[in-house]
Amino acid sequence: MSVKAYDEAVIILENKKINEKYLKLSFRSKKLVQGVKPGHFLMMQIGDKNDPFLRRPFSYYRASSDRIEVLYEILGYGTSLLSKKKKGETVQVMGPLGNPFSVKIARKKRVLVAGGVGVPPLVFFAEKNRSDYLLIGTKSKQEVMPKKELAKVKAKVLFSTDDGSYGTKGRVTLLLEDVIEKEGAENIFIQTCGPMPMMNAVMALAKKYEIPGEASLDKTMGCGVGVCLGCMVKTHEGWVPSCTEGPVFSFDDIVEAGV
Amino acid sequence: MKKTAAKKVDLTTKIKNLTFKNPVTVASGTFGTTTEMESFIDYDKLGAVIAKTVTLYARPGNPMPRICETASGMINAIGLQNKGLDEFLENKMPKIRKQKTPWVISIAAETTEEFSVMAKKLDAVKKDFAMLEVNLSCPNVEKGGASFVKKQETIIDIIKAIRDQTDMVMMAKLSPELGDVIEIAGNALRHGADGLSLINTLRGMVVDVYKRRSRIARDSGGLSGPAIKPVALRYVYDCKKAFNCPIIASGGIRDWKDAVEFLIVGADLLAVGTSNFVTPNATMQIITGIESFCREQGIQKLDDLRGTFQSAQSLGCK
Repeated sequence: MSVKAYDEAVIILENKKINEKYLKLSFRSKKLVQGVKPGHFLMMQIGDKNDPFLRRPFSYYRASSDRIEVLYEILGYGTSLLSKKKKGETVQVMGPLGNPFSVKIARKKRVLVAGGVGVPPLVFFAEKNRSDYLLIGTKSKQEVMPKKELAKVKAKVLFSTDDGSYGTKGRVTLLLEDVIEKEGAENIFIQTCGPMPMMNAVMALAKKYEIPGEASLDKTMGCGVGVCLGCMVKTHEGWVPSCTEGPVFSFDDIVEAGV
Repeated sequence: MKKTAAKKVDLTTKIKNLTFKNPVTVASGTFGTTTEMESFIDYDKLGAVIAKTVTLYARPGNPMPRICETASGMINAIGLQNKGLDEFLENKMPKIRKQKTPWVISIAAETTEEFSVMAKKLDAVKKDFAMLEVNLSCPNVEKGGASFVKKQETIIDIIKAIRDQTDMVMMAKLSPELGDVIEIAGNALRHGADGLSLINTLRGMVVDVYKRRSRIARDSGGLSGPAIKPVALRYVYDCKKAFNCPIIASGGIRDWKDAVEFLIVGADLLAVGTSNFVTPNATMQIITGIESFCREQGIQKLDDLRGTFQSAQSLGCK
């Protein structure tokens, strides 16, 4: 269910670190907020001209009547440049793009599994839609989202850290296995977003326990609007662009999520 | 230059018996097949649309990763993913027929025979297309594309085979990957091509130093974007000078100034490519920009600007 997308120059209202992992970028736009649902993404042009050349995709973190927030990590050249942008500077933003997470599900319990850049869209989802669990995996305590960012989440939030400094020690799939055991595989629907290795592990568990769900796949994107055919995902229909056919895919449709 | 205020600039561009309302079009493979970009642009305002290359049979495309950003551009190895000509004619044509803007079909094949079969099928629907662009230079396929057409005789055979089947206006899309562009262009034009489309991507690669492998699954791919503009400009200039034939220019056109550079060296149509990925309405901005430039320069007709490059030789430099 795609909505009409707009391309607009917006003025940055804030762009600041909220913890060791994330920065929050906010701007105002009436157009870019229209029809936004958790799972939609936007394409941001960070450079003025040719450097960096391509836009970067970001998920919507929050979208109110005219204010949009994006939570991002510095992962490479583009996000590093973005982190240096100051309040009052302009960026070109196109959105909303792609297909959001499903609100209606055929199972009793909704379990959201998030990590890294996949946390913001699922926090957004859990603020808008009652969910049973939000499982968040990070490396250590320093990377855990500040409590006030999670204040409006309508779900039980559980954490795992690789080093055990916060919540359960280990990968987020450990939390997921606990939830599966507690709630029963047959009652669960999973929605996941995060690094590809994490999502592949989540999907492997889902397959093992025959749990349906959706994954918002993280692919390098060229255009974000379905014409460059760079962000392809192998489905039963063949290679399809993640930007227009996804980024949220049903587990059933994915043949190869990629790495 | 004399500056007089001109009200409306005539951007009309003619190729053979065809008239385009302005010279701005889109490079094949950067704008979809039908009207995928309608959220961002008004198709009626484009001079023409060049659709994504179609092959006789469906092609699944290459493995991932297929794209990688580079300095002022990107590398792609999509691999001509498409559903084949029959599917195109059946499912895409109804939508294309409804468009007012002239449509250009781009074709590629693995053998001369396939080109011939495609040309025959297209001849039956030729009224639906302004032109036929023959993609002889895709660098991203094992068979066909630049790998199969590297021999001069093969190019001649392909052009002849297509010309035997149709009288559509035919543009041969070339790249320096094929060898001496002037020689190839001469052969293509002598054996039935009406004009040239210059240039396709240039093969390049990017190495991930941690993995010690390419960032593209096929190791190399086609470099496009502003990085290749100077190369494209030079080929358009050389070919216009050598043959004075119709030319569709592509290679790093990002804004109106890039477009005007190509016009000055003689380009007829200007195909915006990779920049569509970054700025979906780049074509619209370029049309407006060309018009403003002409108005400011007192140019009433685009033909008064086209091909007015003053070479070092013409200026008396040695």
